[in-house]
Amino acid sequence: MNGWEFQPARDRDLHGIERHRSLKREHGLGESITRLIWWAGLRVIFRVWNRLRVTGRENLPASPPFILIANHTSHLDAPLLASLLPAKWRDQISPVAASDTFFENRPTAAFAAWFLNALAIRRRGTGAHDLEQMRDRLNDDNAVFIIFPEGTRSRTGKLQSFKSGIGRMVAESKVPVVPCRLEGCFRAWPADGSFVKPTRLSIKIGKPVTFENCPDTRAGWNTVAGRLHDCLENLAD
Amino acid sequence: MMDEATMERFFGYEQAFAHPFTRGAVIAIAAALLAAPFIFKVFRATVGVSDNTYQELWARWRSWIWICLGLIIPILLGSAWVIAGVFILSLCCFREFARATGIFREKLIGLAAVLGLCLISFAVIDNYPRLFFATPILGICLIAMITIPQDRPSGFIQRVGLGIMGYLFFGFSLGYLALFTADPLYRPLLLLLLVTVELNDIFAYCSGRLFGGRKMVPNISPGKTVAGAVGALILTTILTLVLGHWVIFPGTPMDSWRNLIILGVGISGFGQFGDLLLSAIKRDLGVKDLGDVLPGHGGLLDRFDSLIIITPMYYHFLSLILGTLGQHQPERIITGGLP
Repeated sequence: MNGWEFQPARDRDLHGIERHRSLKREHGLGESITRLIWWAGLRVIFRVWNRLRVTGRENLPASPPFILIANHTSHLDAPLLASLLPAKWRDQISPVAASDTFFENRPTAAFAAWFLNALAIRRRGTGAHDLEQMRDRLNDDNAVFIIFPEGTRSRTGKLQSFKSGIGRMVAESKVPVVPCRLEGCFRAWPADGSFVKPTRLSIKIGKPVTFENCPDTRAGWNTVAGRLHDCLENLAD
Repeated sequence: MMDEATMERFFGYEQAFAHPFTRGAVIAIAAALLAAPFIFKVFRATVGVSDNTYQELWARWRSWIWICLGLIIPILLGSAWVIAGVFILSLCCFREFARATGIFREKLIGLAAVLGLCLISFAVIDNYPRLFFATPILGICLIAMITIPQDRPSGFIQRVGLGIMGYLFFGFSLGYLALFTADPLYRPLLLLLLVTVELNDIFAYCSGRLFGGRKMVPNISPGKTVAGAVGALILTTILTLVLGHWVIFPGTPMDSWRNLIILGVGISGFGQFGDLLLSAIKRDLGVKDLGDVLPGHGGLLDRFDSLIIITPMYYHFLSLILGTLGQHQPERIITGGLP
């Protein structure tokens, strides 16, 4: 008879903010229930308050893992994308969030980890190791990542150039990347805004793209970033 | 819905110190905690303890303060607080077990176990012992059923097995602590159990250190010696005899040599088995501690492991000799009103 295989939580030896920040973080029943309620609640609020309109839903892949990328103009973007996904995946969604904004102090980090399931990434000095870990997590946990390749919220509402980190995550991999164009978030809640205005929001989901044939090199990463940038440009009408 | 006797039992903190043992135990524990720092200092000055050990002692002492407050305050305030406290304790213990074994990834099993814990607490609040004793099978059935609709046979035995194990040990077994509160005299009974079980650990440690000698089960727990186990057995039995005869059970059927010796040997023996049970779990998992909430001790389970086996035994032995605890209290205070 074979022995049972036990897999203790990967983050058992971490606590407090260290644990929130860790890419090894794993959650339990409490977080799952919280997020189920949280995302469903936000979905209703977006529908009612912002008259959310989604087009191209049929372009979503049949099952995780996949990555959603979008233009970034507001803190609304990640919740908006997360709440449009079907309830059965809600537990697997992880927005990739800047560690200097979301994981600096304990309450914010706890919120980002508990409610949003956000993963911390450093804006400066992200090592190859971090991205490697993220790539593993994407595949091992069947995750849905929400990534804003611009790296920060656009202060003008215009699409900015993409960082190449997204390339490191998907080059030579089968994981599809789904480009999403968000409209209205900049007017509803810009970076310097204090509350969410009842502006109409709309999401346009584009066709998934894979980069199996893109080499996992610096040039390859730049190609990925460039192609995804074009995809988002083309989605704007 | 609730009559006066039940309200009194739930929230009657005026009666907190009515029993002499409650008074004595609280004073003794407070005195021991206050005296400990002086003993540490004297120890350091005379014997010379290494800095590491010294820090460790202080960490343990700080944790002990929180443990004592967390245990004693609900017991003094009333049974409603004990029930709430035991529910939270069970939840935290199950969580530690789940994270260490990996069963926490099975959210539905966790959900079934939490629902089972709620049912256990409900049975105690309702003072409905037959429901309480039915919670093991009801919980087991729920845990076994809940993942069937997922149509995922691979790993079924392991996830159901681990779920049931966690539920029985940390939900049902620890749930007995709350069941004692059906009796208006639950304070001395619970304090006797907690004091003797914790002292039993300390006795085992001290006599093991003093006499050393042959290891008991070196593969499960390399530190435990036969001398430690026997020393604890003797000291705890003497302590139980003294407390039982003079303070807690005078004038009741428990107050006989036979009963008190069985009680003392049981508390010590089953307390040590509980300890070894958790050690075996930890060895099998290859982890040192099950958590880190109590610095110096480890997780909650590393501290409360001794209670897992002894608590049901203690309850049933007392019930056997004294009659069901809380038998003269109003039963089924919630479900009794149902049509």
